[in-house]
Amino acid sequence: MNEEIALSARAICKYFHEPETFQVLKDISFDVKKGEFLSMIGKSGSGKSTLLYLLSTMDTDYTGEITINGECLTGRTQNQLAAFRNAHIGFVFQFHYLLPEFTALDNVMLPALKLGRKSEEEIREDAYSNLKLLGLEAQAMKQSNKLSGGQQQRVAIARALINQPAVIMGDEPTGNLDSKNTDIVFDIFRQLAAERGQTIIAVTHDDEFAQKSDRILEMADGRILN
Amino acid sequence: MSRVTNLKISRAHLTSRVKQTMVAILSVTFGISMYIFMNGFMTGVNDTQTELAFSTLAHLHIYNDLPEDNTNLLQKKYGEDKLVNLRNAKVIQYTEGIKNSAKIIAAIEDHPAITGITPQVNVNVFFRNGATKLNGVLSGIDVKQESFLFGTEKYITEGSWSSMEDRGDGVVLGAGLAEKLSLTLDDNVTVITADGVSRNFKVIGIIKTTIGGVDNAKGYVRISSARQLISKNQGYVTDIQINIKNFNEATKVATQLAPKVSYKVESWNESNGQLQAGNDLRNIIAVAVSLTILLVAGFGIFNIMNMTVNEKIKEIAILKAMGFDGTDIIQIFLVQSVIIGVIGGIVGITFGYLVSVLVSYIPFRVATLDTLPMVYDPQDYILAFIFGLITTFVAGYLPAKKASQVDPVEIIRG
Repeated sequence: MNEEIALSARAICKYFHEPETFQVLKDISFDVKKGEFLSMIGKSGSGKSTLLYLLSTMDTDYTGEITINGECLTGRTQNQLAAFRNAHIGFVFQFHYLLPEFTALDNVMLPALKLGRKSEEEIREDAYSNLKLLGLEAQAMKQSNKLSGGQQQRVAIARALINQPAVIMGDEPTGNLDSKNTDIVFDIFRQLAAERGQTIIAVTHDDEFAQKSDRILEMADGRILN
Repeated sequence: MSRVTNLKISRAHLTSRVKQTMVAILSVTFGISMYIFMNGFMTGVNDTQTELAFSTLAHLHIYNDLPEDNTNLLQKKYGEDKLVNLRNAKVIQYTEGIKNSAKIIAAIEDHPAITGITPQVNVNVFFRNGATKLNGVLSGIDVKQESFLFGTEKYITEGSWSSMEDRGDGVVLGAGLAEKLSLTLDDNVTVITADGVSRNFKVIGIIKTTIGGVDNAKGYVRISSARQLISKNQGYVTDIQINIKNFNEATKVATQLAPKVSYKVESWNESNGQLQAGNDLRNIIAVAVSLTILLVAGFGIFNIMNMTVNEKIKEIAILKAMGFDGTDIIQIFLVQSVIIGVIGGIVGITFGYLVSVLVSYIPFRVATLDTLPMVYDPQDYILAFIFGLITTFVAGYLPAKKASQVDPVEIIRG
C-alpha cells in the first residue's frame, strides 16, 4: 500500500427532499489511499449507501467536492461522468444486473467495448483471463441467465474489472452470496488491492467481511464515527 | 466500437422477444400495405373517372364565349351621369361560333404538348320520329379525329362508326335517345334546328357511353352535314377540342395557347370543377385513412418499445453505471424501432402490392370496367416506406428518450 490518494471527499452534504427535507449526509470528509480496501458499515439509514452512490458519480445532487485519481468530478455533465465511470470506476452490486441475453464473456466485454481503447480480440482475451481469475473459464460461453447466483455475481465482478479501474465500488457485493462464495469474492478483492493496487470501497452489513478489510468506515446518522 | 456494441444489445433485445417484435413489425406492415392499397385503389378510381369523363370531354376547348354583359351598353358610351332612354333594346348582330377554324388550328397545332385536335359543330336540335320529339345536341364531327381523341368508336354497340365517313346522311345516336324515339338501326330520324330547318338522317350506329349527356341527348353526324344544316360555310366550327399529353397540365397549356387565339381557351378542370374536386377529395380521403392507419401502427410500436424500456430498466441502469451515456441508450432503443420499421416497411410494400393485385382481379362490371381499378405508382410505394420510417422513428424516439433519462441510482437502489 502506498500513500497516494485515490479518492477524496470534502465537506459532502446531501439532502433528501421527499417526503420531507432531511439531511442524509452531514459534512463528510475523508480520503482513501491507492490500493486500500475500505469497508463502509452502519445501520440502515445511516447514509452509507447514499455516500457510495455519490462517490460513484451516479448521483450528482450534493454539495462538497469529490476527487478521484486527482480529477475533480463535482460539477461535470452526466455524459462526462459516464465516460469517467467507464474508464475509472468498476461496480459490483448486491444483484448482478447482467444482460440475460448475453454470454458471460460478452457481459464482461461490454464496458471495454464501450471504452473502445483495445481491439475486440484483445478485449476478448482480457475478459477471458478475468473470468479465469474468478474461476469461471468453463462458464465463459454460457448465457448469463443460465449461471448460478454465485457464478453470476463473480461474472459481475469480472465485468467491473475489465477496464482496470482505479476504484472498484461494491454495494453489498456479497449480500446475496453464501459464505463460501463470500470468501471467494473477498479473496479476489484482497488480491486486487494488494497485487494491482486497485482501491476497493465496499458497503456491507457483513461484519466478518468488514473486519478482514484494511479500514472500516462506520457511519451513523449521516456522519463518520471513527 | 461502442456503436457495434449498442447494435449488439439492440439485436439481443429484439431477438429475445420474438413475439412482441413480430407484432410490432406486423403493425407497420399493415399500416404500409394499407397505405399502398388505398392510394393505388383511389388513384385507379380517379383515373377511371377521368377516363370516362374524357370520353366526351377534351382537355382543352376553344369556343366563342358568349358576348359580355350587354344589358347596359349605353352607359358605356355616354357615362353614368347622362340619362338615356332606350326602349326595347336588342342585340342586332353578334358572331356565333368560330369562323375560320383552319387558321386557328394552324396557329396552335405545333405546340409540343398537343396530341390531337378535332373541330366540332354542335347544334341544339330536336330529334323527331313521328310524333315523338326530343331535345338534344347534334354534333358535327371529324369522324377519324373525334374517335382518336375520345375513343368514341369503342362505345358503338350497333352499326358502325366509320361508315359515317361514307354517308353524309348517316347519324349515330345515343342509346337512350334512340330508345325513347323508338329508333333502331337503319331507321330514319328527322332533325329540326332552332331556325326551323329540318332534315332526315338515317341511323347508322348506336352509341352507349354510360354518360347520360351523350346517351340520352346526343347524335353524331359528319361535320359537313352539320354545317350544311345550319347554312354555314366551310371552316365554321362551334368548338375546337384539343387533347394534350398530360391532362393535369391543361390549365398551363391553356394559358400558353390563349394569346395565339382570339377566342376563349378553356381547360377541362376550369369547365368541370366537380371532376377536379372529386379527384382531390378522394385523394384526401385516401391519404387521411392511410395516415391514420400508420399512426395507429405508430402507437403500437410506441407501446411495445415502452414496455421494452420498462422491462429492461435495470439493464439500462447498469449500462449507465458502467459508463454508457444517454446517446448510447437512445441509440440502443431507436435502432430497435428503426429495424422494426425497415422490416415492416419492406414486408408492407410486398404485402401491399399483393393485396393490390388481388383486389384488381375482383370483378366489377360497371360502365367500361370489368374489375376494380388499380394503379401501381412507385411514388406511393416510396412514400409509404418513408412515412412508415418516420412513424417508427418518432414512436421509437419517445421511449428511447425516456430510457436515456433513467436515473441509475434510483433503479439500482430499488
